[in-house]
Amino acid sequence: MSELRKDPVINRWVIIATERGKRPHNFASVEEQQETGVCPFDEGNEFMTPGEICGVRNPHTLANEKGWQIRVVPNKYPALRVEGSLEREGVGMFDKVSGIGAHEVVIETPFHHDPFHHRPIDRIADLMKIYHCRINDLYRDERLLYVLVFKNLGTRAGASLPHEHSQIIATPIIPKRVSEEIIGSLEYFNYKSRCVFCDVIREEKRFGSRVVYENASFISICPFASRFPFELWLLPKRHMAGYTMMTQQETVELAECLSMTMKKLAGALGDPQYNWMIHSEPNPAMQRSPWPDLHAHYHWHFEIIPKLTRIAGFEWGTGIYINPTPPEEAAGFLREVETE
Amino acid sequence: MESKKLLVVDDDVNQGLLYEQELSDEGYEVDVANSGEQAIEMVKEKEYDLVILDIGMPYMDGLETLGKMLSMDNRLPVILNTAYPSYKDNFMSWAADAYVVKSSDLTELKEKIRESLAKRGA
Repeated sequence: MSELRKDPVINRWVIIATERGKRPHNFASVEEQQETGVCPFDEGNEFMTPGEICGVRNPHTLANEKGWQIRVVPNKYPALRVEGSLEREGVGMFDKVSGIGAHEVVIETPFHHDPFHHRPIDRIADLMKIYHCRINDLYRDERLLYVLVFKNLGTRAGASLPHEHSQIIATPIIPKRVSEEIIGSLEYFNYKSRCVFCDVIREEKRFGSRVVYENASFISICPFASRFPFELWLLPKRHMAGYTMMTQQETVELAECLSMTMKKLAGALGDPQYNWMIHSEPNPAMQRSPWPDLHAHYHWHFEIIPKLTRIAGFEWGTGIYINPTPPEEAAGFLREVETE
Repeated sequence: MESKKLLVVDDDVNQGLLYEQELSDEGYEVDVANSGEQAIEMVKEKEYDLVILDIGMPYMDGLETLGKMLSMDNRLPVILNTAYPSYKDNFMSWAADAYVVKSSDLTELKEKIRESLAKRGA
């Protein structure tokens, strides 16, 4: 027998295999990303990218030259652009908004092969600080209602180069996935006067079976209604709606928790391809926010999705996901992985 | 002044001939390769000022060809010239100087060739 489980935030149903689930070695290994010969993200090829927006650089080095640890550059061929005016238009019953926004690429490392889970904590903390800096900067533009930070690793996850990078896209609308979470958290708050994510953290700590790792400020779990095998959420223990509300100390602890979680994932699944994304608050400077109490009921978090299965007709047709590995088993495998 | 040497890479023979004729009329010395493999051999044999590279080609596509060419000389100017804008999503396309979507009007391509040659001081 399998069972249906409901996500407590957005009320999405998933089907979880409750018999002995698929174990890590049951997932077929995926094709290696093809090497390209030359990589525009490698150190020494700075001239191949648009000019640097910001970065982490060695002392006495110049922008767009060698000597960096992290570079943020605009996408050479962006999906959305900052230039132009924001026009909202109705065409009959249909709505359109001009393609205002921003699309940036965070080149996480100067090295072509430098897996995230091999990097020291301080370099991961630098990356987390860069995200913080870019979100703050993009939210100074009131036209941009939402900033999504995400990462694709591997061809199956949508990456075109093996050189590790993340992306930042700012949009003039609030994406549906995010508004569903905000609305779900508001409904829960209206009913119970508590943050649903804080309650999830409390329950997961009480049960323990879905907890993968935790430190003083962060916890990583395989969520109760995981859509995908080995899906992970990483949440701050302190209630905060926005990623940029973290203190310096919390940023370092985020880096440590993320590092340990990714080490465990790599150890269990053998360097899987994955997507991650940060779900955080919309632009706090937004005029006429539909959620004036958002800071009370929303709670930012990371979602990490290893690419082990494919989305097919049933999932597209119903929005119900079938997960062949119960999250309790996935978390168990991940907890057992020794990280040093 | 010596004319600039261009290599046009396109698996469509007729398209290659069209580019050869149009660009020769602009005063360039033009060679044509009909595959990525042939283009790489030609770049090894002769020094080109600029390469105009199709992407959708059998066996070795344009992005793979681009990587192999630039691994021999990462300063070689290359213009990607393709019928499909979707390859812009592939970050490997950043390694090229420019990306031109094919059109029967070659004005944009000619403009990008001039810009690229001027930028590289060729």
